[in-house]
Amino acid sequence: MPLIETKNLWKTYKMGTEEVNALREVSISIEKGEYVAIMGPSGSGKSTLMNLIGCLDTPTQGEYKLNNRQVSSMNDDELANIRNREIGFVFQTFNLLPRATSLHNVELPLIYNGSPADLRRKMAEEALAKVELSDRMMHKPSELSGGQRQRVAIARALVNNPSILLADEPTGNLDSKTSVDIMRLFDELHREGNTIIVVTHEQDIAKRAHRVLSILDGKIASDVRVSEEGRKIL
Amino acid sequence: MMFLSLLGIAIKALWANKLRTTLTLLGVIIGVTSVMTIISALEGMMGAIESQIDRMGPSTFVVTKWGLITSEEAYWEAVKRKPISLEAVDLVEAGCENCEKVCARAFNRANIKRGSQTLRRVSIGGVDPNFIDIADVEVGQGRFYSYEESLHRKQVAFIGHTVREELFSGVDPIGKDIRIGGKKYTVVGVAKEMGSVFGNNHDNFTLIPFTAYMKQFGEPGDQFNLMIKAFSVEVLDETMDDVRLILRSQRHVPYNKPDDFALITADNVLEMVNSITKLFRVGLVGISSISLVVGGIVVMNIMMVSVTERTREIGIRKSVGAKKKHILIQFLYEALLTTMTGGFIGIVLGYIIADALVGMIDMEISPSSFAIIAGLSISTGTGLIFGIYPAMKAARLDPIKALSYE
Ligand SMILES: Nc1ncnc2c1ncn2[C@@H]1O[C@H](COP(=O)(O)OP(=O)(O)OP(=O)(O)O)[C@@H](O)[C@H]1O
Ligand SMILES: [Mg+2]
Repeated sequence: MPLIETKNLWKTYKMGTEEVNALREVSISIEKGEYVAIMGPSGSGKSTLMNLIGCLDTPTQGEYKLNNRQVSSMNDDELANIRNREIGFVFQTFNLLPRATSLHNVELPLIYNGSPADLRRKMAEEALAKVELSDRMMHKPSELSGGQRQRVAIARALVNNPSILLADEPTGNLDSKTSVDIMRLFDELHREGNTIIVVTHEQDIAKRAHRVLSILDGKIASDVRVSEEGRKIL
Repeated sequence: MMFLSLLGIAIKALWANKLRTTLTLLGVIIGVTSVMTIISALEGMMGAIESQIDRMGPSTFVVTKWGLITSEEAYWEAVKRKPISLEAVDLVEAGCENCEKVCARAFNRANIKRGSQTLRRVSIGGVDPNFIDIADVEVGQGRFYSYEESLHRKQVAFIGHTVREELFSGVDPIGKDIRIGGKKYTVVGVAKEMGSVFGNNHDNFTLIPFTAYMKQFGEPGDQFNLMIKAFSVEVLDETMDDVRLILRSQRHVPYNKPDDFALITADNVLEMVNSITKLFRVGLVGISSISLVVGGIVVMNIMMVSVTERTREIGIRKSVGAKKKHILIQFLYEALLTTMTGGFIGIVLGYIIADALVGMIDMEISPSSFAIIAGLSISTGTGLIFGIYPAMKAARLDPIKALSYE
């Protein structure tokens, strides 16, 4: 049973009289433990697909099953629950609360599932330790480097032990050295058993994944699985 | 648990935006302060009036030809009536079993002189000696005049606090003479200070025996009235009925005609004062409520700005699993915390200002539970009513749109 299964997914934006098909008949299936890269030119629909998978948005048409549950027919509160428990989202622009400390930012998902304060703190500290930021817990985002901010965001995405980690161009705002650090972190998280989906423009990053989905004009153009040996050649 | 966390978030947000929080507070404080000032001051005034009227005592009533006149017609109707006659005193005393005391009274104004000093137009009351037992007037110094003195039409006087201050500064007045309207009276006692209401001095009076009053001013006619004390509050109604019957038969009122005289209790007076001042009070509270609505609109405006400014924050919260209700509650908490704090400060300020205002007309107020409850519920209501729309707006934001908001 796949972790993610979409059938004939469409996302259509109406712009006045014109219709933009950001996604067209997307049918994919992703197993638990996979490491998938999504590639494609700008405007091809990568973010749109990520938002649908991450339950931040709902499809215009089609089916989406997550963990065998129909997500496409869920209401706002149920979607919020899925986002809280099943999904860890990492954004290109970090999306941290600017006035809150790292610790509070990481605790945020736990607040909304009603975890008690002491447990929240313990879990947030563990997540920050995992991204090697134990010494920056009381810093605000403005007091952190770009790479550190993204690590706080990753800690927040991981804190609730989600089923999938989604990252939409997580290194888009980082220099190449910091990008490599972040990608190493993803590799490690994958080795620990996490399911990871990353949107990226960069071949270097895509190489680390075990499967590359190419998207063009809202359609899946190719779906390539790369074996261990194949990746070495690449 | 969760609500506590959301409360914490709301407090942090308010603390982080001190300027915005201060402005909101100001809006509420101004509104609540003005409403509280008016309510407290009005309550204080009404309380003062009540305490003055209560000087009459709950089991006491007055028989007069005038009654409580509230209209021109009533006045012209009362003018035509016969005065209460002097015989009424004896008739009531003989015929009314429940009447404990019956006091004949009449009032006039006259100048009082002592040596070269003159006090103009002092209220002169000709009252029977039992007046001191019925009315809420107390002896401060000396004594009230006696039955003996009254019987022998002695020219003795019991003076009010102001009369004493004005004519006898630094001198013991007891046994000294004064001239009331040219006639010589000997001071036997001084009343305790009673204070004033609306700048109306209640200590500027002098009481003399009713018998002496008649000798000086003649038959009191229209100004004559009886002050009667029943044995207890329980028998007050019965007593008033007895007196009414005695007077009706004495004045030959046909059985199918209404009384051509009136019995007035403290309650009657209070009712009248209340009905006269009602419109005035409602008007003032209404006017001051406008400032509260203005305060509410300020709160709403600032919250709308806050929601727009924090669109991204809302998007972030939603992206990690905040539900509509969580965002709604957070923003409502923010609104309620500010309006309730503002309400609390407004109540205290309003009380202080009202106290100062009422103090200017020589009165005091005490904290009124009505004003406090009204102030708290008004400010909480403002927070709820004007906070709910921005909070709903925040809660309904689409997570994707909120996240990409610039
Ligand atoms: N809210 C929207 N309203 C209208 N059109 C939209 C909206 N969001 C996205 N689109 C359109 O949908 C298409 C896909 O957008 P999407 O953001 O998924 O692209 P992308 O592949 O992520 O591009 P990039 O690499 O630049 O991030 C684009 O043509 C875009 O203009
Ligand atoms: Mg994109």
